[in-house]
Amino acid sequence: MRSNRIWPMILLWCALPNLAQAVYPDMQEEIATQPKAADEHYFTPRDLSRIPSGAFGDKVRKGYELFVNTQQLKGRYVGNTLNCTNCHLDAGTKAYAAPMWAAYLAYPAFRKKDNRVNNFAERIQGCFNYSMNGKAPALDSPELVAMSAYSYWLLMGGLLDMFGMQDKPVPELDDKHLQLGGNDESFVLPGPLAGRVKMAGREHMPGRAFATLARPPEDASPSRGQQVYSQYCAVCHGDQGQGREMADVPVLPALWGAQSYNWGAGMHRVNTAATFIFENMPLGKGVQLSVQEAWDVAAFINSRERPQDPRFNGDLSSTAKAFHGADQGYYGKTVDGKALGSQAFPSGIQP
Amino acid sequence: MRSVRMAAALMVLDAGLAGMVWAQEQAPREAQPCFACHGERGQGTTQGPMLAGLSTQYIEAQIDHFISGQRSNPLMTPMAQAYTDLQLRRPVATYFASQGKLPELHVRGQLQAGSAAERLYYQGDITRGIPACYSCHGPSAVGGGPFPRLAGQQADYVSAQLLAWQKGERKGDPGNMMAAIAKRLSAEDIQALGRYLAAIQ
Repeated sequence: MRSNRIWPMILLWCALPNLAQAVYPDMQEEIATQPKAADEHYFTPRDLSRIPSGAFGDKVRKGYELFVNTQQLKGRYVGNTLNCTNCHLDAGTKAYAAPMWAAYLAYPAFRKKDNRVNNFAERIQGCFNYSMNGKAPALDSPELVAMSAYSYWLLMGGLLDMFGMQDKPVPELDDKHLQLGGNDESFVLPGPLAGRVKMAGREHMPGRAFATLARPPEDASPSRGQQVYSQYCAVCHGDQGQGREMADVPVLPALWGAQSYNWGAGMHRVNTAATFIFENMPLGKGVQLSVQEAWDVAAFINSRERPQDPRFNGDLSSTAKAFHGADQGYYGKTVDGKALGSQAFPSGIQP
Repeated sequence: MRSVRMAAALMVLDAGLAGMVWAQEQAPREAQPCFACHGERGQGTTQGPMLAGLSTQYIEAQIDHFISGQRSNPLMTPMAQAYTDLQLRRPVATYFASQGKLPELHVRGQLQAGSAAERLYYQGDITRGIPACYSCHGPSAVGGGPFPRLAGQQADYVSAQLLAWQKGERKGDPGNMMAAIAKRLSAEDIQALGRYLAAIQ
C-alpha cells in the first residue's frame, strides 16, 4: 500500500535535472534539497533491538554506537565535541535531517572536484575531516566499516518492512561492498524486493539531505539573526555558541568556536544551515521559525569564527576563492569589521 | 626553599578544599524553610520533590515560575513569593544544587535499551516525533543548566509534571519544548518514565 506512494515520487525526482552534480569546489559538496514528501514517515528503519547477533550485527551495532557517541573517537579521529547525531538527528534516521538510509543509496557519487567517484565510506571520511574537525579513519578501518554497516542496515531493514517482509533478515554484505554504497552497479536488492523497488533515481530517495526552503523575503541578516538566536537557540547552545556539557559529557552541540564544525564543513553554508534549522529546530519542535528567521539565524551562527578550513593555504583570500567561491558562506567575507577565517581556531585534532 | 613554598602552597590548597567541603555541608539559613518538604539535603520527602543536584539556574527559574504563575502549587506558590529577593534565593539554590551525588554515567549508545522507558530516554521514538530525552537531560539524566536532573527524582512527581505539561498546567519551559514533547507521550510512557528515572541512582 505504502509502496505505491513512495516510488512514483522517486521516479519523479529521477526525471528532474540532477542538481546534486552542480559544480561546487567543496569537499562536502552541496546536495540539492528536495520538496518534502507528503508523508515524511513513509520510511521507518527497524528498531535497534532487531539488529541480528553475529559478526555482521556486531558491525551494525558498533556503527550505531559510533554514530551517537562519536566522542569515543575524540583525539584520535575527532577534534571537536560533536557527535554525528547532532546533525543527523535521531541517530541518522530522521527524514530531512540528512538520514543515513537515504544517503546510503546516493553513493558512490561522481565528484566534479577531483573528477572521480567517491564511495559511501569516503563521504563519511569527509565528515570526519570537516564536520568533526578531525582526521578521518582509513578506508577498511573498523570504524568506517561499522558506520557503513549501520547505514546499510537502516536502509535495508526499512525497505524490507515497507514491503511486508518484517521477518526477513537484512542480507549481509562484505566490508568492501558495505563501504561502497547503494548507488553502485553491484548493489542488488534481495530477491523479493528486486522486482518491486525502482532502482533508477535512488540517489534522490525522499527524505534525503534537507527539505527545500524558500528564499527569505529579505537578504539574510546576521544582526537580526542574533536576536533570533538569543530568543530560541541560546538556551540550549549557549550565549557563545559553545553548546553544553553535563557531567563533563558534551550533550548539546557547539555551533561555533573551537569545538564546532570547521570552515570546510557543509553546515557552514548559510543555505544548508537554514534548511536544517527551519525543518528541525528547536529540537522536537521543528518548523516553528519563520523562513526569514531561519535564514537570519543561520547567517548569524555561520558568521562567527570556527576552526580553520583544513585546505587553508596560508592566504585567506586565495583559499576562499579556491574553495568557497560558489558557496553561500561567510568564509573570507568581512562581518563586523573582521574577515571571517582570519582568526579561525586551529584546524584538526589539537594535542 | 622551593620545597617550603610547595608545602605552603599545598597547605593553602588543602585548607581551601576543606573549606569547600565544609561550605557544602553547612546549609544556609535561608534554606531552612525548605527542609520540611524537600528534606535537609534536598533529598525530597512525601511532601515535596528532590532538589538535590538540580542546577542553580533551574532552581532559580522554578521559583520565578511559581511567582509568575507559570507553575502553580498551593504550598509552593506562597513559599516562592518569599524568595523574590535574589539575595535570599541564590544561596538556597546553590546549596541544593551542591547536594546529592552523581549517578553512574551512561552515555548514548552504551546501553541496549532494557525497557521501553530506557528506549525512549536514549533513543526517542521517531514514529511519534519524540527525540531522545538524553538530547537535553544528558547522560543518566543528570541534567544541567536550564534542564533539570531527573535521575533519582520521585516517580510520582515526574509523572505528575509530564501530565501537567500535557494539560498546559505547567509552563515556562525553554521554547515550549517540554510541553510539545509531553503531548506526544502516552499515559503508559509517562508512568514508565517516572519509574525508570526514579531508579537511576
